[in-house]
Amino acid sequence: MDPDDVDEHDTPAEVDAAFRTLRRVAITHFLLFLAVVTGVPALSLTLGWWSDARIEGGLSPGFAMAAFGLYAFFLVVGLAAATLSNAVESRMLGGDHPGADGADRHEDQQ
Amino acid sequence: MNAAGAGTLAIVIAIIAVITLLVRPRGTSTVDFYLAGQRVGVATNALAICGDYFSAASFLGVAAAVYVSGLDGVWYAVGFAAGFVPVLLFVAAPLRRFGEFSIPDFLGRRLGSERVRLVAVAVVQLVILSYLVPQAVGSGMTWQLLVGRGLPGISAYATGVVVSTAVIAVLVAFGGMRGTTWTQAVQFLVLLAALVWLAGAVLAGGFGYAGAVSHLSSEPLANPVHDSAGWHLQPEENRLEPGADATFGEPGAAYGPLAQFALILTLVMGTAGLPHVMNRYFTSPTGTAARMTTVWVIGLAGLFYALAVMLGTASRDVIARAAPDRPWLQELTVDGVLRVPEHALPVLGRIYGGDQGLAVIAAGALVAVMSTIAGLLLAAAASWGHDVYERHINPGATQKQAVWAGRASTAVVAVAAAVLALVLRPENLSSTVPSIVAAMVTWAFAVAGSALTPVFILAIWWRGTTAAGAVAGMATGGLSTVAMFVVGALPVGPGLDDMLVTPTLVAAPLATAVCVLVSRRTAPPPDVEQQWLTLHGTAGDRQAERLARLTIANTAGPRRRGGRRAGG
Repeated sequence: MDPDDVDEHDTPAEVDAAFRTLRRVAITHFLLFLAVVTGVPALSLTLGWWSDARIEGGLSPGFAMAAFGLYAFFLVVGLAAATLSNAVESRMLGGDHPGADGADRHEDQQ
Repeated sequence: MNAAGAGTLAIVIAIIAVITLLVRPRGTSTVDFYLAGQRVGVATNALAICGDYFSAASFLGVAAAVYVSGLDGVWYAVGFAAGFVPVLLFVAAPLRRFGEFSIPDFLGRRLGSERVRLVAVAVVQLVILSYLVPQAVGSGMTWQLLVGRGLPGISAYATGVVVSTAVIAVLVAFGGMRGTTWTQAVQFLVLLAALVWLAGAVLAGGFGYAGAVSHLSSEPLANPVHDSAGWHLQPEENRLEPGADATFGEPGAAYGPLAQFALILTLVMGTAGLPHVMNRYFTSPTGTAARMTTVWVIGLAGLFYALAVMLGTASRDVIARAAPDRPWLQELTVDGVLRVPEHALPVLGRIYGGDQGLAVIAAGALVAVMSTIAGLLLAAAASWGHDVYERHINPGATQKQAVWAGRASTAVVAVAAAVLALVLRPENLSSTVPSIVAAMVTWAFAVAGSALTPVFILAIWWRGTTAAGAVAGMATGGLSTVAMFVVGALPVGPGLDDMLVTPTLVAAPLATAVCVLVSRRTAPPPDVEQQWLTLHGTAGDRQAERLARLTIANTAGPRRRGGRRAGG
């Protein structure tokens, strides 16, 4: 088969539905990210305990979060958002369309 | 220069040059020169993005900022690392799926306007120059410390600026994106290895992280100043509690309440508008690959900045104790505190590894500078060569002519950056900010985050964005940022001046509001629904994956058949 003949396409309705879901995923994760990334300096400014207390070894909770806790949080948020977005796209886009290369897709799915 | 330093530097530069030569683009296609044929894998691209992104500001500047300001310096690391989360959520996959050469190219085609393209080119060039100058400054400072003398007739600082910029301009001009991808990936690994080695050496030498923070926080934070009485230590005033001294482990040494948030949000917003980083997403084979590349980058950035913060803390603790016993260190310090904070990591390298240790860290710093300069020059080449030369100066240009236009523009931009770095000598500015290199990079983030990121995200996520709205948004963001920089340089009072030099907190919402208001009064491009299918659909991704499977099957088939014949 000539690879140029491969016909992949999405319908506007499918893309719109996926777009709205992805937008919700992105905004939800962004709000969580924003709350934490601004919350750490906010706690440093407002809560004496956050800077004065000593956790394991002598670091304050505020310094420990800024020095390594936040980076772990960024990775968790990023990984969760990417996994969810990939799953959304995989489920909501790429379905069979009348007239499309349905036989090939059926073969791929098997 | 000592023999160990010269040898280490020579080996690193030779490795990079050989890789560039081996993987240089064979053809003269612009897709190959600017986008490495759009076939860069997830891990390779993540390493290359890190090489692009982790500049002198990350390697020398973050440790320096922590060294000088303690917790307030750590916000640089937090902001630099956090910037890729919005990129992942809002930009990476759709940007790649739309698939162009550069940010101006993307905006120009998405909004169907050459005016948008040209305004974006102007903003991109401003960001690139703002980012290039601190890299050149960083290379000059590293050369000063490592080599100590310059080429005949020029200073050590100027020699560092000229040599690093010239070497990278030549490598980029002939290596293109393909060569640059691999050299940047290798450069990042060199950079990370230098940091890991130093962290290992410091920990093996008995450094206790928590104990050091606790000890440093128990006394006022003081830094060297030079006045009529000569060099002496001066305690930092706490900007959150006027009249009190700042300490290492608590906020307030460098920034007031508003400026703490302004700095973080400036860095968070700026990353998505950095042209050299965003251009890398066009080299991914699919949108999904671009998204997963960003996850890798977030992980690597976390590791990198956590180490940089730890080493900044270690420098403050270790150098003070080491200074009395080391005559060479006394020349660089005042009562055990470094006069130039960017020297923190190289000095730590020399304490733990002698001249070779210094050479390893200095090579890491130069590599950080060079890989970022390479990415910036390529972004400048794509923007001038593709968006201006091919579109407006010579629309009938052959691929060969377009590639040569890109090469010529790398030389012009490199010369401009070197000249600016020579004019803006760090000693003229360093007394006003925690780390001059990190601060100068922050200015680039501010312009990118205020002028480009809001328009960029609206163009991806709001169908109603129009060309007129984008132009108004970019102009508002760019001009308000520059205006706030200028006002911030005036004596406007403590707290407010810091906020004004990290102006995204005000300029980005302003640019967004103007873009939305103007867009509502004008008509979006007529083909917006078709563009939406490309931006947010995955048909292109599936087609690319399918072609890749077919290619692998076609390649593997004859091999299997050949194998059977050989076996029989």
